[in-house]
Amino acid sequence: MPKPSNNTLSGLVASQAMRRQIIRLPKETTISNSINALIKYKINALLTTDHDDRPIGVLSKTDIMGAYYAGIPIDTPVEDIMSAPPLFCHEEDALEKALERMRTKGIYRLYVMGPDDAQVVGALAYPDIVGLLYRYCHDCELSHIRLKRKEPHTDAFKRFIVNDVMTAEVKAVLNDVSILQVMEELSMHRFGAILVRDGAQTPCGVISKTDLTLAYKHGIDPQTPAESIMSSPVQSCGADDLLEDAIKQMILSDVQRLFVNRSHSSEIVGVFSLSDAARIRSGSCHACISSRITVES
Amino acid sequence: MKTSAIDIMTTRFHTLTPETPVSDAVRLFKQASREEGRKIFGMMVVDSEGSLAGLISMYDILLFMRPKHTHIWGMMDDIDIPGIVDAACEKTKSVQVGDLMSSEVLTITPQTHIFMILDIMIKKHVRRLPVVENGQILGIVYLSDLFYNLLDRFAEN
Repeated sequence: MPKPSNNTLSGLVASQAMRRQIIRLPKETTISNSINALIKYKINALLTTDHDDRPIGVLSKTDIMGAYYAGIPIDTPVEDIMSAPPLFCHEEDALEKALERMRTKGIYRLYVMGPDDAQVVGALAYPDIVGLLYRYCHDCELSHIRLKRKEPHTDAFKRFIVNDVMTAEVKAVLNDVSILQVMEELSMHRFGAILVRDGAQTPCGVISKTDLTLAYKHGIDPQTPAESIMSSPVQSCGADDLLEDAIKQMILSDVQRLFVNRSHSSEIVGVFSLSDAARIRSGSCHACISSRITVES
Repeated sequence: MKTSAIDIMTTRFHTLTPETPVSDAVRLFKQASREEGRKIFGMMVVDSEGSLAGLISMYDILLFMRPKHTHIWGMMDDIDIPGIVDAACEKTKSVQVGDLMSSEVLTITPQTHIFMILDIMIKKHVRRLPVVENGQILGIVYLSDLFYNLLDRFAEN
């Protein structure tokens, strides 16, 4: 893995972080069948292709949620609800540039073109970038996982904690609101998931776009109360947890966000997603920056 | 001489419904293997009218169970494997057979010639083919049915 310079992502290119397995479906595929692919491969979006196998659009769980909200029959072809055209970067593009493109376009993934733009060779989303960073940090000689085995209190540099990078404002819905209202909230705030609280304001579950995709597939009436489709318990971490540990927890349990508890309490004070982790764009500690300063001086 | 699907197909088969929870499906795979006296790697999925709705294989279920970021931590030695499996199982609670099955299924008729079946299995990379006539499921031909049938033919020569 290349050495970092001013931040951990510098010098890395799209092909080093991208996911090589790309799921693509013909544009005539029904929404119902496309949901099977999204669920089975645990992906948030897939590429849609025309008769010549050329990529022409992207179908995301957000598009699926939109179709559920609008009451579109589930055997409709994905062509009618997909987002087009797909946006691309090149496999040799710097990760910095790819991230910048995702940010300015307000999108969560880019498809990666191979040599001569002849074919799509990968997909690049925030979790893939975090994955690369995590692997980098895990292998670093200053890794807190390695240090823990030796002496834990010898850190000469500051490590990020969840509190440094989380989003402090947490929106929630009550457990008796309808699925329709949940979809309105998610779409209004551009969230991937929302916290569910019971009548006593205690957090009791989370509804993600995956839960909504499954509800659509199972033919659940969108007027049904939210709690019938929520996932529980709430996956959470502590505000004082090390960023590295929180990322590890997300990667291992296949979740894209953790709700953040204040220390020694069940009160939820924030939410921390893989996208937040990607936006930090440095590793999970200040060691990389520190080492650069040492070299320069 | 055995020449067609009807001659080699298995008529004793188990099915699942699209609404079967995936957790039940795992148990039913075991049960079907026991009752049919062979290892079952895939089962037909049948809707409420008895028509073929899809096929689900162990592979489909394993794909879903596979943690997404294996490529990141696959080489790490400080990983809690039982914890990961538990987390994956936790996720199967709301998932049904219909969410994971392949619904675009190739079928054959009782009259399909066994060399045609061989050809389909090789070209399409499938190991089992439902035998359907007039919308009714009559049986299923497994790769092993074909394999042993052809070997028997060779053995006879």
